[in-house]
Amino acid sequence: MGSSVSHAAAPPPPPPSPSPSPSSVGLAAALPRKQDEKAEPEKVDWLNLPCPIPFEEIQREALMSLKPELFEGLRFDFTKGLNQRFSLSHSVFMGSMEVPSQASDTLKVPTAHYEFGANFLDPKLMLVGRVLTDGRLNARVKSDLTDNLTMKMNAQLTNEPHFSQGMFNFDYKGTDFRSQLQIGNNAFYGGNYIQSVSPHLSLGTEIFWLGHQRKSGIGFAARYNTDNMVATGQVASTGIVALSYVQKVSEKVSLASDFMYNHLTQDVTSSFGYDYILRQCRLRGRIDSNGAFAAFLEERLNMGVNFILSAEVDHRKKDYKFGFGMTVGE
Amino acid sequence: MASKASLKGKGKAGKGSKASEEGSSAAKCVKEWSTWAMKKAKVITHYGFIPLIIVIGMNSEPKPQLYQLLSPV
Repeated sequence: MGSSVSHAAAPPPPPPSPSPSPSSVGLAAALPRKQDEKAEPEKVDWLNLPCPIPFEEIQREALMSLKPELFEGLRFDFTKGLNQRFSLSHSVFMGSMEVPSQASDTLKVPTAHYEFGANFLDPKLMLVGRVLTDGRLNARVKSDLTDNLTMKMNAQLTNEPHFSQGMFNFDYKGTDFRSQLQIGNNAFYGGNYIQSVSPHLSLGTEIFWLGHQRKSGIGFAARYNTDNMVATGQVASTGIVALSYVQKVSEKVSLASDFMYNHLTQDVTSSFGYDYILRQCRLRGRIDSNGAFAAFLEERLNMGVNFILSAEVDHRKKDYKFGFGMTVGE
Repeated sequence: MASKASLKGKGKAGKGSKASEEGSSAAKCVKEWSTWAMKKAKVITHYGFIPLIIVIGMNSEPKPQLYQLLSPV
């Protein structure tokens, strides 16, 4: 709704202009004239490259296809719109949540909670707040200070002392680059920068510094996309290499694969998944190199009523998670 | 232990340490005030963020009615 409008404010990629661009750039300059009739390769306007995807969303197609929000138990979400911009949401969850533990197997803790949320979505200001029955608050604020400068704030506040987290982001969007500055609690400072190098390729870099633990890191990322595929790669000084590839096979089907290597723990994970976006449902499935497979189905029963099924099976760890739920409202 | 050693050090250094002590206490003051401000800000945000969204939302156009906040329809 409102948030998509601010994304649309990014300048659309201009059509390749016939104006004289620097020589020996476009393929049309090198090919003989006859081939112009068949398939005229577009001339690249190197001075007017499109604005790249924000750095943190560089793998968003792969994440959307391969990492749906799997859950175990019952989930019910109700969103009530009072206004075009203002809505309240009520959400009930009863089931097990995984708590990461030091041992190799994760702990499953049965939890039940009710979450109340309020959203205000304006093209220039977005406020999202969610509060749980145990007093935890998730707050997100996004405000467009000018056409190119955006401020975002993200906070998780708890009643227990020293467990709250907050982060401020300042984003600046240029014609063919984006830069971001992050300031978080525990003296976390980070920044990233991504630049369009060609109409299909963008390169980015990020750097962060943790004050309390005196750790710093630097990372590089690249994203190559055409109309039908997206390939990304990320390397970080924390020893992580992540590659992903998404291919859009047709309007309704896309296939995605993902590879992650952690040099410090010598851990390699690879996964392969599919994403079917059909008229009445969206089905995502994936299989992992750890032998786990998962599926997530969202079926549209009626206008605004969605039925959700989630399953994750890991025979090696003997972990079976099945969940079902309903989402009412937009 | 540590406090006795620091008292000894203060006695020996004399005037020089007083100047640095004032400088460091100003920095300490700033740090204390900013910690106090952050704690208050955290409590205010914790209790006031969702009411703030509701107030902003109820005042946006077109104004929703009050009963719509509570009724499930």
